[in-house]
Formats: sequence, C-alpha cells, structure tokens
Amino acid sequence: MHTESALKRWLSPLVDPKIFDFWAAHLSRTWRWERRLARVSAVTAAADGATTLTLRWGRRAPALLPGQHVNITVDVAGVRHTRAYSPTVLDARQWQITVREQPGGCVSHFLSAPERVGSTLEVSAGFGDMLLPQDQAPWLLLAAGSGITPFRSLLRAAAAADALPPSVTLLYWADRAASLCFADEFDQLAADHPQFRWQPLLTREGEAPAARINAEQLAEWAPLLAGSRVYSCGPAGFVSSAEALVAGQALQVVSEAFSLPPLQPAGEPVTITLARSGRQLTVPGGTPLLAALEQAGERPPHGCRMGICNTCSCGKQAGTTEDLLNGALSAEPITALRLCVSSARSDLTLDL
Amino acid sequence: MSLSPSPSRALTAAEVEAFGREIDAVRERVEAEVGERDARYIRRVHAAVRYTEAAGRGLLFLGLFPPFWLLGTLLLGLSKILENMELGHNVMHGQYDWMNDPQFNGKTYEWDIVGTSDNWRHTHNFKHHTYTNIKGMDDDIGYGLLRLFPEQRWRPFYLFQPFFSVIFALLFQWGVAIQNLRIGRLFAGRMSKGEFREAASPVARKAGRQLLKDYVLFPLVAGPFFLPVLLGNVVANGIRNVWTWLIIFCGHFTANAEVFPKSVLRNETRGHWYLRQIRGSSNLKGGRLMHILSGNLSFQIEHHLFPDLPAYRYAQVAPEIRDICQRYGVHYNTGSLWRQFGQVCWRIVRYAFPSKYVPVERRQLVVSEEAS
Repeated sequence: MHTESALKRWLSPLVDPKIFDFWAAHLSRTWRWERRLARVSAVTAAADGATTLTLRWGRRAPALLPGQHVNITVDVAGVRHTRAYSPTVLDARQWQITVREQPGGCVSHFLSAPERVGSTLEVSAGFGDMLLPQDQAPWLLLAAGSGITPFRSLLRAAAAADALPPSVTLLYWADRAASLCFADEFDQLAADHPQFRWQPLLTREGEAPAARINAEQLAEWAPLLAGSRVYSCGPAGFVSSAEALVAGQALQVVSEAFSLPPLQPAGEPVTITLARSGRQLTVPGGTPLLAALEQAGERPPHGCRMGICNTCSCGKQAGTTEDLLNGALSAEPITALRLCVSSARSDLTLDL
Repeated sequence: MSLSPSPSRALTAAEVEAFGREIDAVRERVEAEVGERDARYIRRVHAAVRYTEAAGRGLLFLGLFPPFWLLGTLLLGLSKILENMELGHNVMHGQYDWMNDPQFNGKTYEWDIVGTSDNWRHTHNFKHHTYTNIKGMDDDIGYGLLRLFPEQRWRPFYLFQPFFSVIFALLFQWGVAIQNLRIGRLFAGRMSKGEFREAASPVARKAGRQLLKDYVLFPLVAGPFFLPVLLGNVVANGIRNVWTWLIIFCGHFTANAEVFPKSVLRNETRGHWYLRQIRGSSNLKGGRLMHILSGNLSFQIEHHLFPDLPAYRYAQVAPEIRDICQRYGVHYNTGSLWRQFGQVCWRIVRYAFPSKYVPVERRQLVVSEEAS
C-alpha cells in the first residue's frame, strides 16, 4: 500500500488517472488508480429472495468498521447504478454482502444472478455511524428485512472480540420464516453466548400474523429496554415507528433507513438541500428546479433553459426527480441532472 | 430586394406547431431506445482513441524511419480527430450523461485541445446551439473574423479573409480556445485588462499543459528522436485542426444556410426553434467512416435538432427528418463533402468583396401573417 501511494504521488502530475485506469484494466481485473474493485467469488442463496455475494479483494481489503455500509456501483445495461450495502468482514481479503431482491429492482436482480461469479464490483469507502459501542450497556437491535445486515456484522465482530455486552436482544421482522437470513448463524451465536437472544417476528405467516412493530412486541420481547442502546435498521416507516416507540426510554438510539422517500404530488412543497453551501430551502414540487431555485434566491449556472445546452446540469445525491420533457421519474443518485427540465417529486439533495 | 430567396416555404403558425410535434415524436422514439448499445458504442470509441494514440506515439518513437514517422503521425492525427469529434464533442453535449459514468459526463469531460472545455460548453453548447445563426448572438457566424453572409457589413479587412481562412483552419483549436475571450472587446476598450487576465488564465493554463504534453514531454521521452516526435505531434494536431474546421464550416456555411435577426426569438416556440436549426445547418453525404470521423456532424441537421441524443443515432433518424421536411416544404440541405466545401469556398471568397448590405431583419423564419 505504502509504495503504491508513493508511486501515485510521483506519477500524478504526468498521468491522467482515467487513462491510467483504461490501461490498468488490460493488465489486472482489480488494480485501478481511482476506483476500488473487488471480485465476486461466490453467489449463494441466503434466504427466499435474498442472496449472499462473497467479495474477494486482490490485496488486503480496505478498512471497514463493523456496522458500516459501502456504496456498490454496478453497470446494468450501460447505466451505472449505486446502492448501499452493509458488508460482513470474513477475513483480511474477503467480505460478504447480502442482497434482497426488490420487486422491479434492477440492481438487486443484477447482483443476485449466478453469472456474477467472477465479475468485479466497484466499492466505495465505508461510511455510517452504526458502530460498536465502547461500553457494556445492553443492546436492543431492531431489524426489518435486509436491515439485518449491519447487525450480523456487529454481532460477529463483537462475539469474535469477546466484547458482547451482558445483554443483547435482536428482534428481526420478516414476512415469513423462509425469508429470514442468517437464522442458523444467530441460533449458533445464542447457543455459544447465553447473553444473546434473538426473536424472529413474522408479519405474513401463521394464524395471527405479527404487526410490523408495536409497543406490545417490545414489552414482550425486550423488557430490558430502559437504559439500552437501541439500534434500528429497515425501511423508513419501520425505523421511524421504532424511534417513536423507544423515545425517552433508551440510553441512545441509532437508526438507519434504506427505503426511497415518498413521492410528493406535484405542487406540494419539498425541501431541497444544497450539499456544497449547506443551505436548505423549500420549493413547490413539480415546478422546474432551475426556476424554483432562482425563486428562492439561488443562482445556479444555467444556459438555454430548454434542456439542450447542459449548462445547468448538476449532480443529485438523493431524492426523486421528474424529467419534465418525458415524465420519467428517477430515484437514483446521479451525476448529471438538468435543472431546467427537471422537477422535484420528493425532498432532494443536490451538488450545489 | 437583394435578399437571396429562402429555399424553404413559409409555414403558417399551425403548420409550425404540427411540424414541431412530428420532430418531437421522432425524438421520443429514439430516446426510448437509447441504452446498452449506445453505452457499448461510446466505450468502444474511447478504446479506439486510446489504442490509436498509443500506436501512433509508439511508431513516432521509431521516428527516423520515414514510413514509421508517417504512419505514426497519421494514427496520432486519427486519434485526435476521434477524441475531438466523436468522443469529446458528443460527450460534452451530455449525450451520454444518462450512463451516470463520470468518465462520460458532459459537465466534467476535458478534451485534448488547447481550448478549455468550460469555455466551449459556453460558446458552443449554450450560445451556438440555443441561438443558432442569430446574428449578434451566435458567435460561430464567422467567428468574429470572417464575413460569410451578405447580412454582415463589409469592411476592407475582409479582403484578406481567404488568407485568414487558411490560417484559421490550420490553427482551429486556437480559435476555439480564444473564442470566449472576445479579444476584440479588449482592443476596443470595452473590457479591462484585469477582466481579460481573469478570463484568460484558465485558457493559458490549459494551453500550457497541452503544449507541454505534445511539444516537450513526449518529444523528451523519445530522447534522440526529439525532433521527429515534435514534428509528428505538430502535424497530427494540424490534421485534426483542418479536419474539424472543414466539418464545421461545411455544416454551417453552405450556399443555402440562412442567418436570422434577434427578433425571431420573440415568442419562439419549439417548432420555430426546430425550423431555425434546420435552415441554418447542412448535412454531408458519406459512408460510415465519414460519419464516425466527423463525430456524426455529417448529420449536422439532426445534431442541431437533438444535440443531446447519442450522435450515432442520427443516421437512424435522418430519413425520417428528411421526410418530414419534404412534406412541409422545408429545405433539407445535404450534399457531398466536396460540393459543400465548394459552396463554403465560394462564400469565403464572395463575401470578402463588397456586396450590397442586406439588413438581417428582412430575413424571417415564418411569414405566418401572409400565409394564413
């Protein structure tokens, strides 16, 4: 690593990293200047509708703290898409990610295909602050669906370091038993560590299906709530219900939601966050973004105002926009959005 | 009236609207198809640029043997043409922004000529494509240097323009580099030296980098073959300059090209805008190689209608556009490179000499009042 960064420093004034990467791709499948690539060494079923991919790094895997996630970028039909996953570190050169197939989800279907074995994926640096705590306060982990993945990572890391607190409770909501991931692993962990308990809560199985998340469930399965560190991860609705239920009782609440923001009807106000200036402003959804931003006193670069010159194009980090020329909706984080012919259909974060 | 007659029929307001809708429909059909094939295509073009560049520079390093020098220079020139036209020009129009790939992002791409991409995105993408052939708004009408239309006032300076045109063609990348600086305003005292320095510094930085790369670094790497490599790079840049000049002039300054007054912008609809794009552009007939090497600007008309659609789709839509134009009586200007070049030469020579000044205001895009 050290000699490599020294080499890069010497070469950087002379070599265009993009041209370097073009030629590097001819020599090595994973060695690049600007991007970090891992090879998919196995694709296995994790549960009904969920698949685990084992990623193998050419050298030592990049630093990643248990519980953090990374952005994985793939090229599907010529378009680059980016999604966040919480990897589990297996050893110095191997990670695992578990992907739940979303209805109509192009990235989840792409990643779940057996033919991914042998291909490479672009992986970002780790981020997120759902990390191992330093003290011994009890944990209450609330997971829904693929929200289980950071908890698997946290639990394995804590167990391996013999650092599990005296009480750890995992409540895991899923639609049915067949869609629970890592059930065997959690059973084994519970057998090895008496302070760990886990309870699946199934929403679409049995005589009386369980509710999504409610106070009775928490009272029944997590009596030690007061003074606990509560981690919750799942779709936005789940996470916000969880936060409301434990508010005022927990020692600390850390949560992560991964679903799309709800689509606002045109005309409803939306909040736009300008990532560079840090400014937040409210504009009517459905109006051209350029006009809306100017109304709010911003002066983004612009040209023709009719969608031809590309001067107003800027990056979008989060949110759903509508292309006003053809009505197409996009919920992807994208590198180029033409402000003059796009409108906000949810809260947005723009590179401005 | 000495106004040359327009080869296009005047349309009524209703006709213009219907015309615009038909062009829109063509766009929608192509837009829906754009995907994996287009991504593969532009990646291949990028690979071709890299391979021809490496092969060209490699051969030049063996420069003392004349056939290697010649082949190396031609390959490097070819690489620079591809990079300039099919890759750089098209990527910077945002044609491949939908791929979401930073490498093909129209806003950040930086091309291999002395002109900065940022300046060009302003003079070309914005001014030229929005205000195509509007006198006083589109700087590409003569680039502030040439008189190509009777609607430009004659001055004795223009007598030398056949000579200037040759220099301009040979140094075309420098013309692009300084176009946005509008040096004339500095000399006329309408811009302060400080303002000029601020505008010129990114241009100087880019030009310096380009000169250093082609005329110092690569020749130095060649050691004893410093001079042949230097000369090869000069010639390769020259080949690219002349070719891009030729394609751009033949796409805009042919016999039937029209210029318009600013007044056409008043209440301009999408249909009017399309009409103006077509009446200001000319296509070049040719084979597949011709289209690739011109960055598909041989389909200048289609490029002006859809500057942000992947350019190699223009071949597919051109017959439909031509058919629509024919049905509406809108002149669709196309011809071989030689025919169009002949017309360009005629304009350069003819308007070097005095001609009766025709106020551009007389040229109208539609005469809806008379026709309806």
